[in-house]
Amino acid sequence: MALKRSKIGMHSATHVGPNMTPMVDVVMVILIFFMLGSSFTSPVWYLTNNTPAIRGGFSDVKTTKFPPVKLIIKLDRRGNHTMATIGSFQTENLKGGLYQWLNKRRKTLGKKTQLIIKPHQSVPYRDVITVYADCVRARYHQVAFGMPTH
Amino acid sequence: MKLRGIKPMEGEHVNVTPLIDVVMCLIIFFLLVGHIAKKASIKGIKIPTTVTGKSIGSQSNQLIINIVPRSGGGQGYQGRPRIYIWGQYYSYDNLASVLREYKSHNPNLKLVIRADVSTPYRYIAPVLVACAKAKIVSVHFMTQRQG
Repeated sequence: MALKRSKIGMHSATHVGPNMTPMVDVVMVILIFFMLGSSFTSPVWYLTNNTPAIRGGFSDVKTTKFPPVKLIIKLDRRGNHTMATIGSFQTENLKGGLYQWLNKRRKTLGKKTQLIIKPHQSVPYRDVITVYADCVRARYHQVAFGMPTH
Repeated sequence: MKLRGIKPMEGEHVNVTPLIDVVMCLIIFFLLVGHIAKKASIKGIKIPTTVTGKSIGSQSNQLIINIVPRSGGGQGYQGRPRIYIWGQYYSYDNLASVLREYKSHNPNLKLVIRADVSTPYRYIAPVLVACAKAKIVSVHFMTQRQG
């Protein structure tokens, strides 16, 4: 008798129940929306800096040992452009000219040379990052930022 | 020898319960990730584009500092930008102490600076100074991949 009852129960469970098809449809649409939405977001990446502070520049913090050779990249604002100056070298072409110069100098100075970027206070972040990206691209490992000049 | 196989299903319906379980988990995952990403990154910041960069492997120890312009950025940059960490506003004056606190909780903290392209350097430098004061030596600048 008990066996009979359970069999009857199983038989009815397969037929009686909510229709899941519309729910699965909607849920699948939501899932595809989220997956596509996440893939459309613009890809970001990062420029890593391990020496954000320079001795004598940023308070009393001493983060790293400093190599003997230093190059100071001064960034100044000329109208709507940013001018990079390293010693007697000057360029407004931050993406091309500066990178080529840095790359050329690295071969003679070595990649342990420390670069210090000293932007003027009004230099936009975009140009500071462009110069920093040039230094990273030219494979300098020690790049630090100085206090803004006035 | 008689092998015992899986009993055939009764009726002609496909069992969709595992499918719904998995799909629901995925939806909850996307909803949570979207919520966390929205909280960590504030809108209204146009990050710079670069030709070089790398992706951070693990994002577990990441702390994003959003430097949000007051006037929406652009040429006429006016006023001191606002600093947001996890959607909460912080002033420049107590940033170093806040970062010190984060650092004390998580010694492997990876700091990410997310600033607008037009932000003058005078507003970026104090953030770097605060990082240095909090003894955070690993700083990442968030940029957009060019092309």
